[in-house]
Amino acid sequence: MNITRKFLSALAAGALVLGAFGLMGCEDSKESATVKVGLLHSLTGPMAISEKSVRDAEVLAIEQINKAGGVLGKQIVFVEEDGASEPSTFATKAEKLIDIEKVVTVFGCWTSSSRKAVKPIFEEYKSLLWYPVQYEGMEMSPNIVYTGAAPNQQIVPAIEYLISKGYKKLFLLGSDYVFPRTANMIINAQAKAAGIAVVGEEYADMDQTDFAAIIAKIEAAKPDVIVNTLNGTGNVSFFKQMSEKNYSSKEYMTMSFSIAEEEVATIGPAILKGHMVSWNYYQTTSTPENEAFVAAYKAKFGEKRVTSDPAEAAYDAVYLWAEAVKVAKSFEVEAILTALKSGAISFKAPEGVVTVDGKSQHLSKPVRVGVVTDDGLIKEVFATAGPVVPDPYLTTYDWAVKAGLQPLN
Amino acid sequence: MEQTINILFNGLSLSSIILLTSLGLAITFGVMRVINMAHGEFVMIGAYTTFVVQQIFSKFLPEAIGGLYYFVAIAAAFGVAFGLGSLLEKFVISRLYGREIDSLLATWGISLILQQGARSIFGSQGVNVTAPAFLSGGITLGECTFSYNRIFIILLVALCMGAVWLVMYKSNFGCQMRAVMQNRPMAQCMGINSRKVDNITFAMGSGFAGIAGCSVALLGSIDSTVGQSYIVNSFMAVVLGGVGNLAGTVIGSSIIGISSIFTENYTSSTIAKAVVLLIVIVFLQKRPQGLFVIKSRNLD
Amino acid sequence: MKALKLFERHGSNVTFGIIVFILAMMPVLLMLGVVSGGSTILFLGKCISFAIVAIGIDLIWGYTGILSLGHGLYFALGGYAMAMYLKMQATGGQITDFMHIGGLTELPFAWKIFTLSPGSLLFVVIAPAVVAWIVGYFIFKNRVKGVYFSIISQALTWAACSLFIAMSPYTNGNVGITEIKSIFGSIKGSANQGNMFLLFYAALLTLVAIYALSKFLVERKFGRVLIAIRDGENRTYFSGYPVSRYKTFIYVLSAAFAGIAGAIFVNFNGCITPSQMTITYSIGMVIWVAIGGRGTIIGAVIGAFFINICEYNLSSGSTVEVWQYIIGVLFCVTILFFKGGIVGLVQDKAPKFIAKIRAGKVKA
Repeated sequence: MNITRKFLSALAAGALVLGAFGLMGCEDSKESATVKVGLLHSLTGPMAISEKSVRDAEVLAIEQINKAGGVLGKQIVFVEEDGASEPSTFATKAEKLIDIEKVVTVFGCWTSSSRKAVKPIFEEYKSLLWYPVQYEGMEMSPNIVYTGAAPNQQIVPAIEYLISKGYKKLFLLGSDYVFPRTANMIINAQAKAAGIAVVGEEYADMDQTDFAAIIAKIEAAKPDVIVNTLNGTGNVSFFKQMSEKNYSSKEYMTMSFSIAEEEVATIGPAILKGHMVSWNYYQTTSTPENEAFVAAYKAKFGEKRVTSDPAEAAYDAVYLWAEAVKVAKSFEVEAILTALKSGAISFKAPEGVVTVDGKSQHLSKPVRVGVVTDDGLIKEVFATAGPVVPDPYLTTYDWAVKAGLQPLN
Repeated sequence: MEQTINILFNGLSLSSIILLTSLGLAITFGVMRVINMAHGEFVMIGAYTTFVVQQIFSKFLPEAIGGLYYFVAIAAAFGVAFGLGSLLEKFVISRLYGREIDSLLATWGISLILQQGARSIFGSQGVNVTAPAFLSGGITLGECTFSYNRIFIILLVALCMGAVWLVMYKSNFGCQMRAVMQNRPMAQCMGINSRKVDNITFAMGSGFAGIAGCSVALLGSIDSTVGQSYIVNSFMAVVLGGVGNLAGTVIGSSIIGISSIFTENYTSSTIAKAVVLLIVIVFLQKRPQGLFVIKSRNLD
Repeated sequence: MKALKLFERHGSNVTFGIIVFILAMMPVLLMLGVVSGGSTILFLGKCISFAIVAIGIDLIWGYTGILSLGHGLYFALGGYAMAMYLKMQATGGQITDFMHIGGLTELPFAWKIFTLSPGSLLFVVIAPAVVAWIVGYFIFKNRVKGVYFSIISQALTWAACSLFIAMSPYTNGNVGITEIKSIFGSIKGSANQGNMFLLFYAALLTLVAIYALSKFLVERKFGRVLIAIRDGENRTYFSGYPVSRYKTFIYVLSAAFAGIAGAIFVNFNGCITPSQMTITYSIGMVIWVAIGGRGTIIGAVIGAFFINICEYNLSSGSTVEVWQYIIGVLFCVTILFFKGGIVGLVQDKAPKFIAKIRAGKVKA
C-alpha cells in the first residue's frame, strides 16, 4: 500500500514536471542540418485501423528522401502527433505542430471531419497541410494540398464505367457521414442525367455491426449494382453478412469507393472476389516506380503488409512536397505555394506521373477501375487514357452544374 | 410473408447476439453487482483468440480438419477470457466490493489498457477470420435465406443458456452462488467461501463474453474497438431485463433486438438506434428496476 | 507560520488562487517570450473549459453520488448553441453549405432563433438545462440510482450522438459545425493576440465565478444535504428532505456548467463535433475528477488541468502507446487505492508534513 502510494506520488510529480516542461515550449531546433515536418494521424481510437498504413507510407518516403541526401541539403525529421480519431483533438494537435513545434509542413488526417476541423487552423496560421485521402470534393483551401482523388477522379468515372457496362439500377449504400452523403448526391445527379435509376439509398451507423435490415432492403429493391461508400469496420460486417446469405458478386455486384487492398485483407478475398472498386492506384499497378515502392514498403513493414491507394497518395505527398521545396528553394509556405501555383510540380509516382494542379491544388492523376482477385489483390479492368484533371466542384460537368451541386457563395 | 419471416429471423438473430454478449454481464452484475465496463474488451479477446487459433490451425494442421478450428476456438476463447477474468477479479474487482460505481470506473481503466494491448500485439489494422466451411453460406427455403452462422449462434446461445441454467440451478456451486447473491453475510455464515464464489462467477461471466467474441468474429471486423460497438446494447438488455434474472435478460435482449430490426425497416439505422434506446429509457422510468425484479424488502 | 495556517484552513482556495494566478500570468509570460507560441494560451483556454465541466461533474458525483457517464451531451449542447450563434453572426442568417447539400432551402427554425438577438446566447445554458431537467425530473422521481443511472445516462448520450449524426442537414452530421470565429473575432496568430487575451481572461473569470458559486453552495447546509444523499439516500428521505428535488437541481446545475464549458470550448477550438458527445469523451471527464480528487471542487480543477496537460505533451510520437497504458493504470490505481485522488493524497500527507515543519521550527 505504502509503496504504491509512493510510486503514484512519484509518477504524478514526474508527469507534472514533464507537463510543465512541455508548456515552457520546446527549444528551437539547434541543428540547422535538419528540417522538421509534422505527421498528424489517429494512432488510437477507431480510425487507427485505417490511418496506420498512411502514416507508415509517409515515414517510408521521408526515410527514402533522407537516404538520398534530404531536401536542400537538410535531413527531414518528423514530429508525430496522435489525433485520437477525434476532430477537436486533431485541431488542438495541428495547432501544436504549427505553433509550438514550428514544423514547416504537416502531412495528415484521414476523415473529412478531421480535415474540416483543422482547415481553418492551417488557413489562419498560413501553414500547409498535405491531405492524402480521396474525398467528397466541394472544397479548395489555399493551405491544403489534396493528393487523393477528387470526386471526378474516382466516383464519376466509376459510375460512367458502370453505365457503359449496362448497369441500370443502382443502390446507394454508405456510412452516415459527409463523404457518402456528398458522393451519393453526386451519383444521384449523374444517374438522373444518364437516365438510369437509383432504387435505394441507405446509410449505416458508423459502428453498425448488424446489416440484416439493410440487406433486406437491398433484397426488396433488387438493384443490379450496389454503390458502396461504407467506411472502415462497416465494410467488413456488410460483406461478411452478404456472403452469409449466399450473395456473391454474381447476385449483387458492388462498386466500392473505400475498399483498398488493406480492407480486402481484413474482409477476406474469398468473400470479395469479383467485386469492383475504383481508385487511382493498386498494388498491382505495373510501373517500375510501383515495383520499387511495394518492395520498399514490404521490406520495411513486413512481407504481409499490402500497399493501397491512400498509402500511395501519402507517399506521393511527401515527395511532391520535397519537389516543391526544391523548386521554391525554400521551406517557406509562401514560396512553396507559389511553386505549386506554377503547375509544374510533378512526381513520377507509383500510380504514374502525378502533377499538382496549380489552381485547385489537387493532383492530376489516372483513374482505374479494378476487380478483386482470389489472392486478395486488385486487378485493373479499366483505366482512363491519361491523367484526369481534378475538378473538385464538378464545374466541367453539365449535369452537375444543372443539378446545382456547387456549394453556395 | 417473406418479409415477415425475414424480419422475425433477423430480429431473432440480433437478439441472440445481444443475449450472447450480455449473458456474462447478467451473471456478474446479478451476483456481484459489478458493472464490468471491460466486458466489451473480453468480447474482443474472444475474437482475437479465434484469430490466433485459426492461424495456428492453418499453419500446422492439414486443411481437411481446418474447419474444426472453430470448436477449438470456442473452447479457447472461453478459456482465455475465463483466465483473464479470474485474474481481473483477483487483483482489481475484489478490492472494490460494495463500491459499485468505483468498480465501474476501475474496469473502464482496464478496458483502456486492454484495447491498447490489442493494438500493441496485433497492430492497429483489423485481422480476418474466415468462417469454417460448415458455417459459410446459408440455406434457402422459398424466398428466404437463413445463414448457417446465425442459426449456429442461436443454437450456441441456447446451449450457453442451458449450461448457465445447469450451473446455477442444478449444481452445488450454483446453489452457493445463489445463496451469495441473495444474502451475502448469511451465506458466509453458512460456511460458503464467498471469495471463491465471486472469483469463479466473474471468470465465468468473462468466459461467456469470450464465446460471444468468437461468434461475432464471423459477423464483422476484428479490431481493438470491436467491444465498444456491442457494449451499450448489452448493458441496456441487462438493465431492461432486471438484475439477477436470466429470463429477464433473455426478454430484454429480445425486445432490443427485434425492435431494432423492426424500426430499422422503416427508418435509417442511425435513427433506429436512437429510437430504440430512447424507448428503453422511457420504459425504465415506469419500472426502474427492470422487467423482472427479485422481490426483496431491502431498501438499499 | 501565517502562510502555513492559511494553507491549513483554506488549502483548496489557496491552491485555486495559485492556479488562477499562474493562468493569469500566462499571457504576460507569452509577451515576455518565456512561453513560446500563442497556441499554448488557446490550449489552456480549452483546459479552463474542461475544468468547468469537471466542477459540474464533481458536484453531482463527488458530492451527491450521481455518476453521469454522459455529460458530454450537455457539453456538446452548450457547444452547439454557441457554435450556431457564432455561425449565424458570421453569415448574417444565410443558410450554410451543409444545409444546402442536405436539401434545405430555408434556414431551419432551430437556427433562426440564433439570428434574432444576442439574447439567444442564453441557449448555451437553457438547452442543456432543459434536457437535464426533463431527464433528471423523471429519473430521480422514479428513484433510479447508482449504476442504473450511469448506464441510462450513457445510453442517452449514445442515442443523442447518433441523432445528431443522422440529422445532418441540420447539424452537419459527423463533421459538426466548423470554421467558427470566437465571440471576440479571430484569435489565431500574433495579429489577433488582443482578442485571444480578452477571450482567455473572460474564460478565466467564468471559471473563478463557477468555482466560487460551487464553493458557496457546498459549504452551506445545501452541500451537507447533498453529502447526506450520497451517503444515505433513504435516511435523507426519512429525515424529510425532498431528495429527488435536490438531485434534480444539482443535476441541472451541473448540466448548465457543462453547457457553459462547451460554449467556452467552442470559442477556443473553432469547431464542435458529435465526438464531444460520445461515451468515451464523457468518461474522460469523469477520469479528470477521479484523478484530481472527488468531492473537493479543487480536485476537479486540478484533475482537468493535470490530465489534459499530460495528454497534450505525451500523446505524441513514440509515447502514444505508453500514454494509453499510463492513463489506464493511473485511473485504475487511483480508484483502487487513492479514492481521494491527488487532493486526497495531499490532505492525507499534508498535516504530517506541516507538523514536521512546525516541529523543526520549534527546535530551531
